[in-house]
Amino acid sequence: MARQMTNLFDSSKCTACRGCFTACKDSNQMPALFDRSYFGGPGNGTYDSKDGDTDAETLTMIRFNETEDPVDGVRWNFLKWQCMHCNDPICVKVCPKSAYTKLDWGATFHDEAKCIGCQYCTTACPFGIPKYRKRTDTITKCTLCYERVAEGLSPACARTCAPGAIKFGYRDELLEEARERVKFLRVNGFPRATIYGETELGSGTNKLYILTDTPDKFGLPVKPQIEGNTIFWQNWVQPYFGWLIPIALGASAISFVTSRVIGNKNKAMEGHAEGGHE
Amino acid sequence: MQWIPEYRDDVPRVERFNALARVTHWSHTVTFLLCLFTGLALFLRADWLAAIFGGFRGAGLVHRIAAVVMTVTILTAMVVGIKGVIAWIKDLLRFGLNDIGFLMKFPLEFLGFKVKIPPQTRFNGGEKGNSIVTPTMVFLLMISGWIIWWPSIWWPGLVRASYWIHDLAMIFATVMVCMHGYLGSFHPGSGESFWGMWKGTVRADWAQHHHTIWYEETYGDKAKAEAE
Repeated sequence: MARQMTNLFDSSKCTACRGCFTACKDSNQMPALFDRSYFGGPGNGTYDSKDGDTDAETLTMIRFNETEDPVDGVRWNFLKWQCMHCNDPICVKVCPKSAYTKLDWGATFHDEAKCIGCQYCTTACPFGIPKYRKRTDTITKCTLCYERVAEGLSPACARTCAPGAIKFGYRDELLEEARERVKFLRVNGFPRATIYGETELGSGTNKLYILTDTPDKFGLPVKPQIEGNTIFWQNWVQPYFGWLIPIALGASAISFVTSRVIGNKNKAMEGHAEGGHE
Repeated sequence: MQWIPEYRDDVPRVERFNALARVTHWSHTVTFLLCLFTGLALFLRADWLAAIFGGFRGAGLVHRIAAVVMTVTILTAMVVGIKGVIAWIKDLLRFGLNDIGFLMKFPLEFLGFKVKIPPQTRFNGGEKGNSIVTPTMVFLLMISGWIIWWPSIWWPGLVRASYWIHDLAMIFATVMVCMHGYLGSFHPGSGESFWGMWKGTVRADWAQHHHTIWYEETYGDKAKAEAE
């Protein structure tokens, strides 16, 4: 496996300029969509441009998380929100068309040409990231700009980030850097600073975050997990239960033969025949 | 070798299924099989199966059209033929020792051995089982299917549950259909069953022998006397 590459997002440096959001749209040629919050609601009551979540035409956005604390007062926690590129992604497993692949350098890549829009991935994803786009009947999500990375460039969001909050590089190096940064933040006014993405979901996510506060203050799931319904479906129903069908077919085939063999024997012995019964 | 017994109209016959029941049964056969094979393409991830319907999108379209027709025909038939449905359910509720006797001896009968089976009502023990399992699974398929069609408008947990419910219900329904299709046609012990659903009538002597209780209650001397 190639050395993993990823983005490190440092929330202590983000100014919420939303340059990444615009650069992403530009690079992926996605249209601007006006939504309710541009016009002052009824959105989610924040300054988010996208009601707090990505959509089919917006692969990344900045979340505005407002927190109030008796000690710290009111704080705005900015979070760049997009696909986490899990190291063990459930979307790859549930996709019936194998449209998802895990690239050897770490990106979870979704091939829109293979996608049939079944949306299995949307409900399976612990972060609810894959979004359905009606006009193409496909799913869209962050690609970690795999086509730019293949050419030796960094993703559009990392390239454009003015305050240097997004940094693209080798994951192990970025992780070291994040640890140092968290140590620094903890003694400089952010005692609850933490890394997100290193161990989440067991094997961690490819994306790494430096958070100035606990994950819940950023609207991130503290313990993201694959739902039991999805695990039961994928690990039990899909691989094993289907075998009941060939068993039923096989039993019918066996009965077809044996009942005729035994029936003929009876006929020969008793010397009477009338239809298939009696 | 004989596949199914010959249809004979020179012997006394009695009605087993009316026209509405037969039309519903066979239209359901068509929509169920269409849904099954288009759905299996996705379940088995079988490109060759999807190709028959013009790819996965084509299969998805056929699946949805068949699903709509299935829902509409079943609900319509249930409303129009509510009397028949109630009679059917009433017969299922008569599950008794004779049905247990049937089910215990059935494996031998299934393989072709001659066994003595206690008298049966309109639906024997096995048919009662099929009448309970298959419609239950089809209703689960319809409900979960309509939820899966619009995943974004439902609570996500419900959608996630619907995926495995849809798969499991498909598997159990298909297992029943495999057995039902065989037992209702090529199984020598089932005799006239196929004609009951195809032409609507079965030979009176067969009905008397295989569904004794039903025959006596419906066409027997006592029933005739009561009718007069």
